[in-house]
Amino acid sequence: MTGKSLDIPARPYTGEKARLSRAYDYLILVLALFLFIGSFHLHVALTVGDWDFWQDWKDRQWWPLITPLMMITFPAAVQAVLWPNFRLPLGATLCISCLLIGTWITRFFAYHMWNFFPINEVLPATMLPSALVLDAILMLSNSLTVTSIFGGMVFALLFYPTNWPIFGMFHVPVEYGGAQLTVADLFGFQYIRAGTPEYLRIIERGTLRTYGQYATPLSAFCSALLCTLMYPLWWYLGKAFATTKYVKNI
Amino acid sequence: MKMSLKTLFSAACLGLCAGALAPEAALAHGEKALEPFVRMRTIQWYDVAWSKAKLNVNEEVVITGKFHVNADWPRGVAQPDATYLNVSAPGPVFIRTERYLNGQSSVSSSALKLGGDYEFKIVMKARIPGRFHLHPFVNLHDAGSVVGPGQWMEVEGDASAFTNQIKTLDGSVIDMETYGLANGVAWHGFWIALGSAWLLWWVRRPLFIPRYKMLHAGQDASLISPLDRKIGAAIIFAVPMIVFGANFVTDLKYPNAIPLQAAMDQIDTLPPAVDVGAVQVKIQRAEYNVPARAMIMTALLHNGSDHPVRVGEFATANVRFLNPAVVQPPQDEGAALAAREGLSIDTADPIAPGETRTIRITAEDSLWQRERLDGLIRDADTRMGGLLFLYDNAGQRYVSSVSAPVIPKF
Repeated sequence: MTGKSLDIPARPYTGEKARLSRAYDYLILVLALFLFIGSFHLHVALTVGDWDFWQDWKDRQWWPLITPLMMITFPAAVQAVLWPNFRLPLGATLCISCLLIGTWITRFFAYHMWNFFPINEVLPATMLPSALVLDAILMLSNSLTVTSIFGGMVFALLFYPTNWPIFGMFHVPVEYGGAQLTVADLFGFQYIRAGTPEYLRIIERGTLRTYGQYATPLSAFCSALLCTLMYPLWWYLGKAFATTKYVKNI
Repeated sequence: MKMSLKTLFSAACLGLCAGALAPEAALAHGEKALEPFVRMRTIQWYDVAWSKAKLNVNEEVVITGKFHVNADWPRGVAQPDATYLNVSAPGPVFIRTERYLNGQSSVSSSALKLGGDYEFKIVMKARIPGRFHLHPFVNLHDAGSVVGPGQWMEVEGDASAFTNQIKTLDGSVIDMETYGLANGVAWHGFWIALGSAWLLWWVRRPLFIPRYKMLHAGQDASLISPLDRKIGAAIIFAVPMIVFGANFVTDLKYPNAIPLQAAMDQIDTLPPAVDVGAVQVKIQRAEYNVPARAMIMTALLHNGSDHPVRVGEFATANVRFLNPAVVQPPQDEGAALAAREGLSIDTADPIAPGETRTIRITAEDSLWQRERLDGLIRDADTRMGGLLFLYDNAGQRYVSSVSAPVIPKF
């Protein structure tokens, strides 16, 4: 690199260079789309799993704790590549959008068409509002520390209120079989699934007890604290893997 | 050689593709997958019956039956403190509308008592047309599922005609098939639209190479415009406002919403139906003859009843070995798992009232092998178990739960 070349201001390409550069953009975007649809969807299916699959798993204690904690992972890693190298504040939104594409494909074709579950029983949760805010905080702060603390917290804290308008109506009580159930519980009873018996659900178990019957805020803040730690961890994981170090000798 | 390997590889690929394109239906639910000692010595099913085998969409079938929880519960299997009486099916082709255990309505999990006797009734409503194999089974926490006898069901009609309406406690009637779907899709659509707009806002401009170059030339400030910053600030302000606003409205709309329910049902046991005392059986020795595929049990029988009794049946892990010399009550379960002449006794004489006698009972059939029960002799727990059915000449039935260590005879 000579002193002369540093004097020339870098600017967007024009002409043929611009066309080729744009083609490269689309190539990377399409590859990223498929990569994140597959990998992030698999990650969430293996870690959040039943909590996201079924209405009768979406409890007020463990669901808002586990889901943001497992879903902030890929967004942090992808932001660690797209922001420091390209100043693109879309890593989180891109990951969550890809996850939703994969999730909706699976819920419709595998759960509904193939296995006959009504689609409303397997509605997925969304973290798009959390992702948008996470991207915006990173863009405005340009700081890993600020994004970890405030972005990580907001990512978790927005999760439950984002999804309550979708799932709240499934918590309307029903008298069934002499007991009070939610509509969501009733799905689990009526629409039989052999592999996931009712007792396997993790409902109000463990030492994370309710406080004056308010369980969700406690879980949300616990998740927020953990997300502030999970975010930088996965940021550095993303950074470690976004290198050409391993392919230099090819 | 090279050519033949290539041909072989191509043929293997073609075979794999052909197999993938013409898959065969899976017709089992893992009935034989669980270790034999678990199937033989945990939940012992009997008298399982189905009200019908052919029905239309929206019609109901009732499954009734009994099971005994073996007192000689395997040490390697978790105690039945959390269990769930379930039905295996290829997805919710039926819905379960009612379930009773010992006459009590039950919608949740429950504990079972060792040595306890249970009667069950499950009402299923047909939802999807087709031919399906259904089993009742008990999910055992930390152990797996112990499957009961199966039945093929034929459902005819139109799936779109299926209805499942429920009245909530606030008085509204909902359709479980569509409830909340439009609202859920609308919210997903709204957030997807917002997320897509944010992505398009960035993707519409040159991305990777020019931005990388400009960033490394120290021009990163120009990569984020003042308008970008304004939009970012708007997102940080507006998105939580929408989220908490919608959350507030939902709370107002559903003021009686409750958390998911986690209580377990408490089921009382019935008066004992097995090992009731009039006829007592103790297995003194059990040998499994491998080449003959026969379990030979030496049993000490005491007949405390007023009538002579004879051994009519040995049932274990859904396999019934029947003594043709003794009249059998009709049962609906699949004939494929019944060895009609599979049980023989070394003496044809019935055991007289008050008599105590040692007899040799032989349960012999290829079902031991076909149902993978012969693997018991290679298990870590080689004790067998099952139910022995004895009958007197008045038709009275006595059921005894038996178990003993098994010695293989090669």
